[in-house]
This record gives sequence, C-alpha cells and structure tokens, in this order.
Amino acid sequence: MRNPNPKHKLIRANKIIDGTGKLPINNGILLIEGTEIIAVGTERDLPLPENSHVQEFNYNEATVLPGLVDCHVHLNGIGDGRVGDDLALLPDEIITLQSARNARQHLYSGVTTIRDCGSKNKTTFMLRMAADMGITPTPRMMLAGRPIAIIGGHLSYFGEEATGPVECRAAVRQLIKEGADFIKVTATGGSTRTSLPLSASFTQEELTAICDEAHNLGKHVAAHCTSTPGILNALDSGVDTIIHGYNRGSDGILSFDPLIAERLAKNEVFVNPTLYQHVARSRILKSKLQSSSLTDKETKELNEIDTAHQLKNEYFSKMRESGVTLVCGSDSAWAYYQMGDFNSEIEAHCQIGMSPMEAIVASTYNSSKSCWISNEVGTIEPGKKADLLVVDGNPDSNISDLRNIVDVFQEGEIVDLSDKI
Amino acid sequence: MSIQSNTSTLILADKLIDGKGGSAIEDAGVLLFGPIIKAIGTRSDFDGLANDKVTVLKFTGKTIMPGMVDTHTHHTGFGDGRSGDDLVELPNEVLVLQAAKNARAALYSGVTSARENGAKDYTTFKLRQAIQEGITEGPRLVLCGPPISTIGGHLGYFGGEVTGQTEARAMVRRHVKEGADYIKITATGGTTKTSFPWLSSLNVDELTAITDEAHKFGKLTATHCLSTQGIINSLDANVDMIIHCIFNNPDGSSDFRKDVAERIGEQGAYINPTLHVLKSRIWALLKTQESRTLTPQEKLDLDDRKRFYDIRLEHCHKLIEMGLKIVTGSDSSWGDYKLGNTPYETEALVDAGFSPMEGIVSVTSEAANSIGIGEKVGIIEAGKEADIIIVDGDPSKDIKALWNVENVFKSGRELDRGSESSRDRSRQYPPPPLP
Repeated sequence: MRNPNPKHKLIRANKIIDGTGKLPINNGILLIEGTEIIAVGTERDLPLPENSHVQEFNYNEATVLPGLVDCHVHLNGIGDGRVGDDLALLPDEIITLQSARNARQHLYSGVTTIRDCGSKNKTTFMLRMAADMGITPTPRMMLAGRPIAIIGGHLSYFGEEATGPVECRAAVRQLIKEGADFIKVTATGGSTRTSLPLSASFTQEELTAICDEAHNLGKHVAAHCTSTPGILNALDSGVDTIIHGYNRGSDGILSFDPLIAERLAKNEVFVNPTLYQHVARSRILKSKLQSSSLTDKETKELNEIDTAHQLKNEYFSKMRESGVTLVCGSDSAWAYYQMGDFNSEIEAHCQIGMSPMEAIVASTYNSSKSCWISNEVGTIEPGKKADLLVVDGNPDSNISDLRNIVDVFQEGEIVDLSDKI
Repeated sequence: MSIQSNTSTLILADKLIDGKGGSAIEDAGVLLFGPIIKAIGTRSDFDGLANDKVTVLKFTGKTIMPGMVDTHTHHTGFGDGRSGDDLVELPNEVLVLQAAKNARAALYSGVTSARENGAKDYTTFKLRQAIQEGITEGPRLVLCGPPISTIGGHLGYFGGEVTGQTEARAMVRRHVKEGADYIKITATGGTTKTSFPWLSSLNVDELTAITDEAHKFGKLTATHCLSTQGIINSLDANVDMIIHCIFNNPDGSSDFRKDVAERIGEQGAYINPTLHVLKSRIWALLKTQESRTLTPQEKLDLDDRKRFYDIRLEHCHKLIEMGLKIVTGSDSSWGDYKLGNTPYETEALVDAGFSPMEGIVSVTSEAANSIGIGEKVGIIEAGKEADIIIVDGDPSKDIKALWNVENVFKSGRELDRGSESSRDRSRQYPPPPLP
C-alpha cells in the first residue's frame, strides 16, 4: 500500500527562485523531509533519495519560490474604508471572525507568513489558538497583539495605552506574557481621530524603555512613523523596523533627508514604505469615475492621492538608492486595502526602481529578516520550513506572474485553496 | 454564481419535492425572482419564458427540494467526544470561530436553516451578526442563547442558571432583549457533570414562569427531557417542543408511557427524538475498538448504549405510529456527532418507521413549522424564500439521497461550497462492519 503521507517529497520545477536574490536554478529540484527543506539544487548535483515513499510533484512549466512574507497586515481590518476608530467598536468575536477570513484569504493568495501590526484586545491571539486547534487555516503568524500607544495616540483604541517608561515596560511584558512575538508601537499619530500624525507621540525616554525591554526578552520592535520627530526618536531608541517612514516636518511636506537615510542604512533598520495603501483608494475612485462620476470632494481626494503617490515614489526611490533596506508589507486590511492582494504592494516596489528579483527578495527573504523569522522561513534553503509558492510564468522578469498561483505549501503540505469550510 | 435581486432564474430538474409530503412533481421547474420563489410547476408551464432576462439552470437526473432545516444544532461544539463541561472552558472568540466553521459545514451540506440549541453566553448571536455583515456564510439561524437551567443543571455552564420564578422571568427577558428567537430550557439533567439525567431539574412553577414569559413575547419554548418526569413537567408548563423525549424512570430504567405520549399529542407539542447522537457514540467506540481494546468501562458503555439505542428506536416507532409531530434535529455538534451530517438523524427516523417522504417532511416543512419559520422556508411554494437544494437521485425513494447534495441556494443565491474534498472532511462515516 502506498504511504499516504510519505516522509519525503520531491519537487521538480522549471525554475526555483530561492528568495536570497541569487540567480534562479533552472530545472531545479527541491527535497522536503517532513516539514522542512533538506536539499535544493539540480538533478546533477542532488543525489535522489532511494526511497520508494518519495512523493513527487512535477512543476515543469512553473516557478517555485518561498511562500510570501507580508511584514505588515492588520487582520482585524475590513478593508471597506472604515476608520480604525469605528472598527474598534465592533465586538471582539466579530473582529476575530473577520481576522480568520482575512488570514485565509492571504494564505490562499500565496502569503505563508504574516506579521500582524496591531489588533484589538486579544483577538489575534485567539485566532492563533483556534488555528493551533485546527479550526481555521492561517499563514504562520507573527503577532503584536495590541500596539503600544500614548493616551489617545494612534491605534490606542485597540487597548494598550501607556505613559512613562515604567508603564511602557509593563506594557511590553504584559503583551509578551499574552503571546506577542514582537512589539508594535506608534511613534507618531496617524489616522486615529484623537492623534496627530505630524507629531511624535512617545518621548525618547519612553520609546527607549520599550525597545530595551523588548530586546531584553528577545523580541523586536516595529514603530509607526509618519513624520520626522517619530523617525528620529525611533532611530535614537533602537527600533528595528520603521513603518511608513515619511520624513515630514510640521508643514506636512515629504522631503528626502540623506542624513536620516544614511542612519537607517548604517543601523540596518528596515523600512516598510506601504506604497500601495493609498493607491487602493485611488483605484476605487478611478473605477467609480469610469462608471459614473465623482463628487467634488472625491475629485479633490483623487488628485491629492495621485500627487502624494508621485512624491512618495520619488522619496522611496532615493531611500532605496541610499542603501536603505525596504521590505514589503501591505498594511491591508487597513482603510480600503483588502487582504488577499499582497501582490499589489510587491508590484508597487517595482515602480520605485526595484527589479522584479529585488521585489521578490523584499517580499520573502528581507521581509522575513525584518520579522526576525528568517531562520525559519523566507528562503528556499536546507533547514528552512517548506513554505512554498508555485506560480506559472517567470516572476523574476514579470512580477505580476506572482499572481498565477498553482499551489501553496505550508510546512511541506499542499494547502487546499478551495477549502471554504 | 450570484443572482441579483432583480433577476429571474428558472431551475429545471427531473423531479421536484415541495416538502409538504405530497407526491413529487415530475419534469419540474421553479422560477425564482431574486431571493423569492415566484412559481413552481412542470417544465411545460414555463415554456416560452426562456429569454435573456431569465437564467435557466438545468439539472438532469436530479431532484429539487427545500433546503434542509435542522431543528437542533450546537454550533460551538466539536463533535469529537469532548464534554460540554470542557467545551465551555474555551474563550468565546475561539468558540465563535468554531461556530462559524460548523455553520459553513452545515450550510454547504444543504442545511439552510438551523435552530441552535444552546451555546455559551451570546456567542451564536455574534455569529449571526457576522453572517449578516457578510463576514462568513451560514444557515438561517434560530437562536436561544444560554439554555435556562437550574444551578449546576444541564448546560448551566453556558450562563443561563436561574432559581425561582422571578429569576426565570428575568432570564427570558434578558435573552429576548439580546435577540433570542426562542427559549431553550433544560427540564432534566444531562451529560453535564453536576446534573442528574434521570431527575427533573426546574420545578413546574419555574418552567411555567419561563414559558409564560416567552409566550408573552411570541417566542416558542423547547425543553431538554431525559426522563418521563421532565416530559410531564414540560407538558404542565405548556412547552412547545419536547427534545430527546426519553421515557426514563428516576433509576434510569425505561418504560414507554402511552398516556404521556398522548398528552404530547393533545397539547400539539413537537418531538425531536435525537436518535443519531446516541448512535454516533456507538460508532466512536466501535472505531476505537479498531485500533485498541476497549477498557472494561468503555465495553460496558458500548453495550449499554447499543441496548438503549434499540429501546429508543422502539419508543420512537411507537410515537410515529401514534401520529405525533416528529422532526429532525440532529443535536450536532454534540457528543461525537459533527455538524454537516444532519441526514443521519433523518435516516434514523426512517429506521424508526417514517417513510422516506415523511423523513423529508421532518427535515423540511415540519421542521420549519416546529421552530416558527414555516411561513418563510421549509417548502417550495410561491412567495417563500428560495432556500433550495439540488440532490442527485430521489430521496423520496431512498432517504440516503439526502447525502448527494450538489447545489445549495440560500435566498436565491447559489453558494460556492468550495472543494468536494474539503466538504468530505466534515463528513462522518460509519465504522466498517465487523468481520
């Protein structure tokens, strides 16, 4: 009788892209033992196991690459434009159900690892508990739980406000006790009604306490920064990922600062530019414009988004040229950006000068490094978890080929992409 | 495929069973307008209707029937043998995720309406809210919230413990305020560790306070009854449905009580016998036996349950012969019985003496009537909601055809039920026959 769950799996592919940025392996072979990759190469340099229980997968027309790593999601979000202030009013049970729906959509679109950058109360911890019980499928999840915010600060409605270094340290310890894999902090205001996006939120002292405590406990810190004071505080306190990273003064004008870029590059701070977030809104407005017409307010909004988008692209092009490591994180399902469409964020990186291969690295290896999980996933290398994405075509020359999903593997098992239960 | 609210769809098939119990229409058609059934008839009645405004769906060799109505579900349960006492330890968010999974499994198996029979706090109300907001799919739900019980009584851990008439009335009012559609009561103990299955729990004055208060708001009531005294107390309190309907004495012995059964008939109460949930435990033990020797306790349990199943089947046969109003209510996911497997209960009722067509009625029109939604669903008739399933074969000849659901329409919208393999993972199979 055939063993239905053979220990070894052999994958043959037209092309293997390992996620590190190295040249693809043509006619590649990948060997999986249990949940892990144990060998990768070509027929010539890989001795095939003499094991009758090897299960073979032939992707002779397709490309195999690491499952995508989205370093910035909000599982709680609905993606229908509602603001976080309103989202947080929903009961935790409803938000948890929405999170499960989002997690599934993202997984089915080829994202096998996500970093959730802030959710209400214990909702995402509860989702993980249910996923561990086999109730619902999710990608591998790096969870922040509640973002740490100042009173009234951005995302404070999710339930973790702290004042002073002592409360900040307590908040870090509490979150890690509940299961947080990293700490998300909002270093400036944001879309939250009671917050100020162009001002720093935490003091330097508070932010340092957060980073110090998190690092002591082996966890990294990602900080939301939409203006210069927040970026400077984050740099001074040892934050590991800067989210958004908009260098804007009190006038709100986005301007490239080579000194800041140099510090980001030198300190190896990852920057998650969230390039597509506003485009998602602009696409909705443009499609409305095609079928009917826009109100004056909407026309103004569309023009503003398009102008800002242009400036943002120029800004991040310069960041990239300065050697800052940019990582792909969609920020979905925040605002109008629904989950299951990480590809749009990856594609947006090709518009700031990245080659398709560079964008693949930014959404696999580098993204996994920013999540402090690159020892487990993000590349196709021996010892890594067999989280894989199989697509038709050549994403290293045409990035949108990442959308042509053939199969998704999670820890060596094929995911049933049409399981609706 | 989704049907817009202003579009017409004509469904044609070899046979149509309307759920009322009369003979099937051969070569039949149903016309839907948005979410509502517009007309039914034979194929020729719809001649000339086919135009660009009407989508025609043809199902050759298939039967059109109403979506199944399961009058007894436990959406937060796992059906993996765990007790309710353990289930309730899980956080509400996890219970709601499990409830959502069960809701999808049930809906995609062809159950388009379900009466939930009790869960922790108001978890199922949150599930309904999420379904209404389009976050997840699920059947039309008829909800009760935490069943009302005595302190330590059956399902009391879900949050519905009361003592005395005043607390009893207050609990009904709280449930109604939260959005309860009916009131579930445990009139005897059950599997709950601190309860006594063969003894009555709430007193008649308490039961009467509950039913009186519920009826005042136009809400139906249903009592869990594992003993004859529980049934009698429920009848004294004018309960609308007797669940389980087990004729047991306080010492656990069984005696069918024709006089009590007659009272059920006289008062017009429905009976939900829940036969298969007992058999599913027998199946689980037989499957365990495949892999290892049963412990002496398990062996005893298996023999007891086999004996008791025969008694239950015999009693149910008598109730059917008396012409009482008996409906399908699976009691899944409870014990070892998982949601998505409702037809097993209907099959058991056919084993107990229903004809296959009576079995169909018990899981469509009569089920819908018993839970107060018969005006909307349960039959295929002009004006009703288009909750419709297409099955391969003819369930009025062989009830097992209820397993062959090929398409599910909820309010006129054909559902994407995902892969067959994923649905099959929710299916429970009988143990292989003994050699």
